[in-house]
Amino acid sequence: MSTKNPIYMDYAATTPVDDRVARVMCECMTRDGVFANPASSSHQPGRDARGRVETARRQVAELLNASPTEIVWTSGATESDNLALKGAAHRHSARGRHIVTSRTEHKAILDTCQQLEHEGFEVTYLVPGSDGVITAELVAEAIRDDTLLVSIMHVNNEIGVTADIEDIGRLCRERHVLFHVDAAQSAGKLPLDVDAMCVDLMSVSAHKIYGPKGVGALYVRGQGGNRLEPLIHGGGHEWGMRSGTLATHQVVGMGEAFAIAQQEMDTESRRLTDLRHRLWDGIRGLGGVWLNGCPERRAAGLLNVSFEGVEGESLLFALRELAVSSGSACTSASREASYVLRALGRDDQLAQSSIRFSLGRYSTEADVDQCVEIVTREVNRLRGLAPAVAADAARDRAV
Amino acid sequence: MDNLSYSALVRERFEKPGNAGRLLGDVVTGMAGEKAHGTRVEFDFRLRDGRVERARFRAYGCPHTIAAASWVAEQAEGRDLEEKGWLDPHALADVLELPEHKLGVLLVVEDALRDATSKALRI
Repeated sequence: MSTKNPIYMDYAATTPVDDRVARVMCECMTRDGVFANPASSSHQPGRDARGRVETARRQVAELLNASPTEIVWTSGATESDNLALKGAAHRHSARGRHIVTSRTEHKAILDTCQQLEHEGFEVTYLVPGSDGVITAELVAEAIRDDTLLVSIMHVNNEIGVTADIEDIGRLCRERHVLFHVDAAQSAGKLPLDVDAMCVDLMSVSAHKIYGPKGVGALYVRGQGGNRLEPLIHGGGHEWGMRSGTLATHQVVGMGEAFAIAQQEMDTESRRLTDLRHRLWDGIRGLGGVWLNGCPERRAAGLLNVSFEGVEGESLLFALRELAVSSGSACTSASREASYVLRALGRDDQLAQSSIRFSLGRYSTEADVDQCVEIVTREVNRLRGLAPAVAADAARDRAV
Repeated sequence: MDNLSYSALVRERFEKPGNAGRLLGDVVTGMAGEKAHGTRVEFDFRLRDGRVERARFRAYGCPHTIAAASWVAEQAEGRDLEEKGWLDPHALADVLELPEHKLGVLLVVEDALRDATSKALRI
């Protein structure tokens, strides 16, 4: 079996930089390019760099239907999430010390919430239904008089399901609660409108949509730097919310990636939806497979499937001709099943034997067909090696 | 963390596991582990004159489990049922270049072997 060129189906983890993006990034690095410090307003090279940064800021803002002055550059969605949650909690704690989020959020949110709990904040973790959807009703039940902030991701990174963002946003607005959305998996893939969604804070990342790693942004509603307590001090860049010399090439790459994604979103979304259906139709032919998360409400390219009767680590190894993600993390003590799938009520075996297939800009029908062939062959092979279910049942009865 | 670097022997046995399958007819079956816990191993033994004439395994588990069960089923064939302690999990761990945190799966394999052997001795 050749593992030299696995078929890449892990676009939800990261994407390659688009050639068009790499080109504009290269323009901002070397001595004949726009390399100067964008904060150096005293000379033309600095002002040129500033111009490129501000163009990128407009490109990112346009995708979110935001104003450019509401975009703060960060190192990625994890920093954006940290800045949003800690920055809002620390700045606005007088409004309350209660936060609402969900158990199926990314670790960047969960670990940050845990840190805030250590600092004395109280956090309610919502549990979605078996479809994985966080609804406005769930949020409404959790909001209290002292709730300061609600943080819900738009598209879940493991299962691809979308939350009721518009309804949750309206609810938060009515209840005068700040609303943060982690949109790392939806920016450039689903339409975003911070006004229509009543969002106050939104985290986005470049590398999920063919931009470079190491750069992201936080949308902060309203102008001026008094909305969030900064995490990083030193120079007062980004309206005092995020100090540090801007990485012009990264920022410019993110802007270009967002502009391209906006132009191509409709056609790409349709194409990826078709590919995802093709993949699921192929895989479900195996029998004993479970689609994780709501079948309808999902990001175009993401499919998370649990396989009955196969063990997760063996499945992942057997599928090494594919670059896919496993729903399990093999720790030193045990093979820990995905916390997201367990929150959905999947039993340990199914949660542990899940695979996330995520398709993207360079995925083709041929890739999908080959993937179906490999998955079918290997799952059947592993099932053939495993003890029969009936034997389990007989033994259980004997015990 | 997932660690998908396996020794050549584990890879080989995972890809083409010798002695996989089921024996029909007059056989004893030993079993251990739980699918819900991630590892389950079963051995079928066909006996003749106090010896294991043929052995087959079925395994649900990580590649190390499959490789170990295959190795043990192969090594069991021809052995006298009274022969004790021929399977040393630590020695097998060395053969398979098993990471230390995976030693537990070999204990499941060993338990399934013991189960099959003790059932065979009761016949």
